[in-house]
Amino acid sequence: MTSSQKPRLSSGAAEWLTSFADDEHIVGARHANWIGLGPFLEEDLAFCSIAQDELGHAVALYELLTDDVDKFALMREPSAYRSCWLAELPCLRWDDALVRHWLYDEAELLRWQAMADSSRQDLCDIAARSLSEEAFHRQHSRMYLERLTSTASEGRSRIIASIEQVLPIALGLWEPVAGEQEALAQGLTSRASSEMGAEWATGVQAALAAWGVEVAWPSVGPAQRARSERHASFGELHHDLQAVMVIDPDADW
Amino acid sequence: MKTYEVFLRKDGKDEFRHAGSMQAPDGEMAVPLAREAYARRGEGDHLWLVERSDILAAGPDLMSVNASKTHRHNDGKVVAETRKARRTAGGAE
Repeated sequence: MTSSQKPRLSSGAAEWLTSFADDEHIVGARHANWIGLGPFLEEDLAFCSIAQDELGHAVALYELLTDDVDKFALMREPSAYRSCWLAELPCLRWDDALVRHWLYDEAELLRWQAMADSSRQDLCDIAARSLSEEAFHRQHSRMYLERLTSTASEGRSRIIASIEQVLPIALGLWEPVAGEQEALAQGLTSRASSEMGAEWATGVQAALAAWGVEVAWPSVGPAQRARSERHASFGELHHDLQAVMVIDPDADW
Repeated sequence: MKTYEVFLRKDGKDEFRHAGSMQAPDGEMAVPLAREAYARRGEGDHLWLVERSDILAAGPDLMSVNASKTHRHNDGKVVAETRKARRTAGGAE
């Protein structure tokens, strides 16, 4: 489908949608780092399948924003991305990757649910497809954290340390996104990020309580002040993502 | 880690078929991991998992064929030769 056939998004709505699409793209790329490195074969397959799901969501959303998904996804200047730092974090340790996976997918589920009755049919369709995958993503992350925190062990202490580190960054996902008011006014989504963020926090705290994990809730504001700010690790990731594309930017894939 | 045997069945097909085996920490985790390992491209509509240690298997002593029981291994050769001989002789079968 070309943009001429698609109802055009207002500039605010496009900005809002870009933040979600970039989150999905970047978290998918980060998860995909685990290809071949998962703790056992079956988990390697499962986690990379989740990575592919997230990249699929990103493509579906990018298609509403541009006619050239590859170029838009890979070739923008870093300052033009709108991803949150939770998605951008490298998470090179398995405990960090699991904790980010959990915190991100708890949030993603709420974001898709808020789009399930969108005023745009194409967004409703993408949300319905994504929700069918997200139930597994959340189950997958919770299965691990529940088990790893169930006994006093190195695993439990590493997971708790990771939650303490990642949680303050995760809160930045819920900072109001530019264009959100427009998206809400147009009915593209039914819920403001502040409202979903409160529900997310309740769910995260309930899970932590169920696992007997005590973590002080972060009191300071998020480190990422605006979604136009990239995490320090983004440059290297961006370089890697572009590595093939820049060899021949005009190649027809 | 436990080892599980994975069986898949497609809607409209009769029986579950063995798809392979896999490892998982426990049954609850095994089910979604099996889906991702063996059925993520729609290879089946129904999934069974059996922990390998729960499978009852016969040993080779029980399964080896007794070579002296050729009378129980009818391959149809005798019957075929008899029928052919009768046809050649023009007799009714």
